[in-house]
Amino acid sequence: MTLADDSPRTVTAPAVPVPPDPTPPPVPRRRGPSLSRNRWGYAYVAPFFVVFGAFSLFPFLFTAWVSLHDARLSDIGGGTFVGLDNYAALLTNDFFWNALRNTITIGVLSTVPQLCLALGLAHLLHYKLRGRTFFRTLMLVPYATSIAAATLVFATLFGRDYGIINTALEAVGLDRIDWESGTLSSQVAIAVIVTWRWTGYNALIYLAAMQSIPGELYEAAEMDGASKWRQFLHVTIPSLRPTILFTVVVSTIGAVQLFGEPLLFGGNGATTGGARNQYQTLGLLMYQQGWTNFNIGQAATTAWAMFLIILAVVGSAALVGRYRARREGARR
Amino acid sequence: MTAVLTPPTPARTSGRRPGTKAGRAGPVAYTLLVLAGLLSVFPLYWSLVAGSHTNAEIAATPPPFLPNATFFENVSAAMDQAPLGLAIVNSVVVAGSITVGTVLFCTLAGFAFAKLRFRGSGGLLALVVGTMMVPTQLAVIPLFMMIAELKWVDSLQAVVLPTLVSAFGVFFMRQYLVTALPDELLEAGRVDGASTHRIFFSIVVPVARPAMAVLAMLTFLTAWNEFFWPIIALTAANPTVQVAIANLGSGYVPQRAVIMAGTLLGTLPVLLVFALLGKQIVGGIMAGAVKG
Amino acid sequence: MTVRRRARAAAGATLALALLTTGCGGSDGGDDGDQITLTLGLYGTFGYEEAGLYEEYMDLHPEIRIEQSVVAQSGPYYQALQTRLAAGSGMADIQGIEIGFVSDVAANHADAFVDFAAEDNAEELESSYYDWKWDQASTDDGRVIGLGTDAGPQAMCYRQDLFAQAGLPTDPAAVSALWPTWDDYLATGQQYLASPTRQEGSAFVDSPNSVFAPAVRQGDTTYADEDGNPVVEDSDGVQSAWGLASQAAGDGLTARLAQFSDEWNAAFANGAFATIACPSWMLSYITSQLGDEGAGLWNIATLPGQSESGSTWGGSWLGVPSSGEHVEEATALAEWLTAPEQQVRMFTEQGFFPSSSVAAESPEVADAVSEYFSDAPIGQVFGEAAAAVRRTPISPYDTQIQDAFSAALTTVADGSRDPDQAYADALAAIEQITG
Repeated sequence: MTLADDSPRTVTAPAVPVPPDPTPPPVPRRRGPSLSRNRWGYAYVAPFFVVFGAFSLFPFLFTAWVSLHDARLSDIGGGTFVGLDNYAALLTNDFFWNALRNTITIGVLSTVPQLCLALGLAHLLHYKLRGRTFFRTLMLVPYATSIAAATLVFATLFGRDYGIINTALEAVGLDRIDWESGTLSSQVAIAVIVTWRWTGYNALIYLAAMQSIPGELYEAAEMDGASKWRQFLHVTIPSLRPTILFTVVVSTIGAVQLFGEPLLFGGNGATTGGARNQYQTLGLLMYQQGWTNFNIGQAATTAWAMFLIILAVVGSAALVGRYRARREGARR
Repeated sequence: MTAVLTPPTPARTSGRRPGTKAGRAGPVAYTLLVLAGLLSVFPLYWSLVAGSHTNAEIAATPPPFLPNATFFENVSAAMDQAPLGLAIVNSVVVAGSITVGTVLFCTLAGFAFAKLRFRGSGGLLALVVGTMMVPTQLAVIPLFMMIAELKWVDSLQAVVLPTLVSAFGVFFMRQYLVTALPDELLEAGRVDGASTHRIFFSIVVPVARPAMAVLAMLTFLTAWNEFFWPIIALTAANPTVQVAIANLGSGYVPQRAVIMAGTLLGTLPVLLVFALLGKQIVGGIMAGAVKG
Repeated sequence: MTVRRRARAAAGATLALALLTTGCGGSDGGDDGDQITLTLGLYGTFGYEEAGLYEEYMDLHPEIRIEQSVVAQSGPYYQALQTRLAAGSGMADIQGIEIGFVSDVAANHADAFVDFAAEDNAEELESSYYDWKWDQASTDDGRVIGLGTDAGPQAMCYRQDLFAQAGLPTDPAAVSALWPTWDDYLATGQQYLASPTRQEGSAFVDSPNSVFAPAVRQGDTTYADEDGNPVVEDSDGVQSAWGLASQAAGDGLTARLAQFSDEWNAAFANGAFATIACPSWMLSYITSQLGDEGAGLWNIATLPGQSESGSTWGGSWLGVPSSGEHVEEATALAEWLTAPEQQVRMFTEQGFFPSSSVAAESPEVADAVSEYFSDAPIGQVFGEAAAAVRRTPISPYDTQIQDAFSAALTTVADGSRDPDQAYADALAAIEQITG
């Protein structure tokens, strides 16, 4: 991992197509003579690492240790050492695979529409608008609403017998849906909650990136006679690609850790994620193992499995990105 | 990981006219935006409606669509059941302290990672980013053991200190400062004979301000809405807003209207901040996102 | 660099520090001169403050100050308590303990609590309780970790108007006579379902759990053997309750609701079902769902199968953590709060049925009548139910096991699983729980 050495025009800088530039622009890095080799660096990161080490790193490593034990919640430090048995058991555990499947489908169902809608919304917000601050602020209201409050309301809206979504479906001549008890329907409902909460936030990130797209690109496209739609497809989207990749990664991390929405969606505090575990995510499974079944060793194992999954997803995204980068580089 | 975040081609920020081609919004755009706006606030509005009606009323067909004065009765019932006033004060203290701490420490560390070269900085940064991916729920047990050891159970520092810094914050500030802060500016400060601290406060902080605003807002919202850890570390006697809300509707009978009313009341301070500071906050996001 | 900026930065840091110190101030309950502050950690089902018991106790004992901290639901409450038990600190002077985890506390944390069997007045305490109540808080080696508060003896509530409409009797004695056994109850359900005059869309019973939860506790074993080890497949209670409940679910007798969900709450007001298993505390639940308009709609009959065995659901204890600073005072308070006189008051003022047989047999309780429930003699109904309860062992996993069955029954009711599949699902889930 080479984070520290990379120049960081992350997120928003337009990737393609940049006007041909024979010499790469100077990258301002590792040049400052007096600020480099600066021992103050340690002092500046020290406050962070003191708190971080005490309150984040220790629990993290402790969890790894617990995952190697057959430990109960009430006696967390006193379980018997079982090596990798918990991990082996996890691989043959139907509940784990079910939760993994659910996490993936809910993740796809929420991330894809969320980011597409955010793009569209950002496009709209990019116009010259009356009350632009008002609209932008409005888009952030869902993010300011707590997961608990949002889920509580949506669970009511998605109610089988008295929810207004079903009332509306019936009014237009469709059948009522038992949202909570169906597999796909419950996952869609949860994805709707996630989408609702994060679309506006992502839209503003995209909007910021759009504003940094150089006007010349659009002018050039217009001269070529490209329609607004084609400009969106061939100028806006490619320019946003790094931002899009970034939001995909961040949403993926969020999706794998999804926990509050499926916990609260059932409305009766059950950690099973529905009667058939139809919307139990990995985060919820871990919670059930640890706090409902008191099997903290199993829960720690699931937590570490989640970590490894995220690592794999982000790692492969990184590889794709690198491959692309190389290809683009070769093209130039 | 970086490859994802870093575009293949370095960009220049000079010589461009960003955003100049945005057209004027037509009626369709306005309609869609108004629709999106309504969708954004609808659940909040619905909790106002649900907070005004009994379970029996809300289950009627068709359901009621307007709030009424019962809402205020339910608000006061909620305030009787849980010390919501104290909870809001506590949450302001907690979220405020976490925000100040996170922004300060993460700016310091982000600056160091971005501009100061020291042995092992690459490895340390990788460590920071790696922990962003760790599910947090499990940490509560060892964390509670520590808090208990320190005799901090039920006191606010138990929820402030563990979240006083964030890996995301460091990474975010670092990414922002690497580009936003030209080395030439630092060199100029150095030539003037300024110490590193002087440079930090007089050069780095002003440049970092937009990103600090974004980080502050994200941190505040996250801290305000956090409930998993506070519910374990605090009791209902000295709660944050989310802990207090979780304790609403006590009894065998869940009084949903009261829960809804209390929930809305607990969201109100955040909405107020949005209404008052909307321009600055959204502006901060813009500035931050452009560079960050 | 401007001085002003720097000053502002400094001010920011000071503010942060100030905020932190404010945070540190806070609640160190402590003693104020000669006064002792006792804290109670409870979840939302006790109602002592509302009944004025704290105030009375503080009047009687001026040196004591009482503070309570209440979590609405017992789930999060027990998570916090477990974390504190694991860490060995942070507990209140008195902690509420619910039926769902009393056995876990007794099996794994008995040492952390005062042993009431070792108190001087242990015999007097024991004799005032129903034997099953005292038993449930006992450990294998005879320690008793908590004093019982309320209990949840069960009856069967029914909607008089819906019964009349469907051509069924409405008088409690006649209704009780319809279902001496659970099979009779299901047969009545079929009759209800088949009635041409039945209110459209109304089901016979709210959920399969209204059959399963009472019936499972009427066998010789529920979820545990004598040693407290979980048994499921070999339990007669489970076998008969599963057969009955899955039949009710499969035959469409239920309104396909998950208990305690929003939909279930709403269904009360809509007359979506005609019967529901009624632990004593369900009365206040129904009352608050329906409000004043519901008065006279419901009545109460005997639980099916009660001649064999009564059944309870719910109930709590008060435990005194032995690590507290004021164990003696806390023990005295816990004993006072759970004494028969106070249990009587909790019934007359808050509707909590006593777990003390002495309290339940007192005239204030035994002769009580509920106007709201069509003048049902609730003292007598629930008193008989409580007296008919048999001692059956409980395990630390009772709640989780029951939730697994309850979830499986929901899938039978909504048609997504047949009973055999659902049973297998439940067993698989239970295997995860009991390890």
